[in-house]
Amino acid sequence: AAGMAAPTMEERKACWGARDEFWQCLDSHGDDAAKCEKLRRAFESRCPQQWVKHFDKRRDFLKYKKKLETEGFHPSEAAGKS
Amino acid sequence: LRRRLAVVAAVAGTATATWLYLRHQKEQERRSRRLRELRALALGQGDFQLSDTSGTPRRKADFLGRWVLLYFGFTHCPDVCPEQLERLSGAVRLLERDPALPPLQPLFVTVDPERDDAAALARYLRDFHPRLLGLTGTPEQVRAAAAAFRVYVSAGPRDADGDYVVDHSVLTFLLDPDGMFRDCYGSARTAEELARSVRGHMESYR
Repeated sequence: AAGMAAPTMEERKACWGARDEFWQCLDSHGDDAAKCEKLRRAFESRCPQQWVKHFDKRRDFLKYKKKLETEGFHPSEAAGKS
Repeated sequence: LRRRLAVVAAVAGTATATWLYLRHQKEQERRSRRLRELRALALGQGDFQLSDTSGTPRRKADFLGRWVLLYFGFTHCPDVCPEQLERLSGAVRLLERDPALPPLQPLFVTVDPERDDAAALARYLRDFHPRLLGLTGTPEQVRAAAAAFRVYVSAGPRDADGDYVVDHSVLTFLLDPDGMFRDCYGSARTAEELARSVRGHMESYR
């Protein structure tokens, strides 16, 4: 079995909090990650690497979903994706 | 004449009542037989051979007589499992408040048996509800349990630390005291909605 124990409830909440702060920063800076480096580092330090990857993907998905809802679906665009 | 009419009406009435009664009885009999068949079938379906957090072997038959709310997840889960377990626990707490309702057993089955042993599960689950019972087992046992419930499970690639996430269907199953599937809930339901649905099933049971 892998060595690391699963994050506790407190650790999960600290991770989610750091993630939310980072995402709020991105929201208020038009997703300019360069403006939110400090919060990004805090987010990465508070969350397991696997979770950081998971949340990054989730953010991409949420943004894509929002785009679909506001702009509509363009099949030619989607065909280019994997 | 009136007396004769009265007699005819009485006889017709009795005949109709008898016929209705017999038809009702036949319908009851048919329903009981069907229920017996389904119960026999249910024991074989959605069965599992796992161990709980005290190391005791558990199978579905062990939970007969109680309603069961069962969720598949893993302790290294980033967000979905804690959220779903909060809702499941919330629903259980809501229903516990009503003494007229039958007992409800919350169950958690891990989809990550390599890391989620009894101790890991106990640590994880006590944050949600004191009666939430964790089940784990060998990879084969867990695979069989997930397959029995048609739950998709796929462990992701390991990173440099050996960490990984497990992709899985997000589903909560409701089993009745006969071990039969009654309902299946996706990720969107709130605790209140879950409780309301379970209560509805409990009230219409049998």
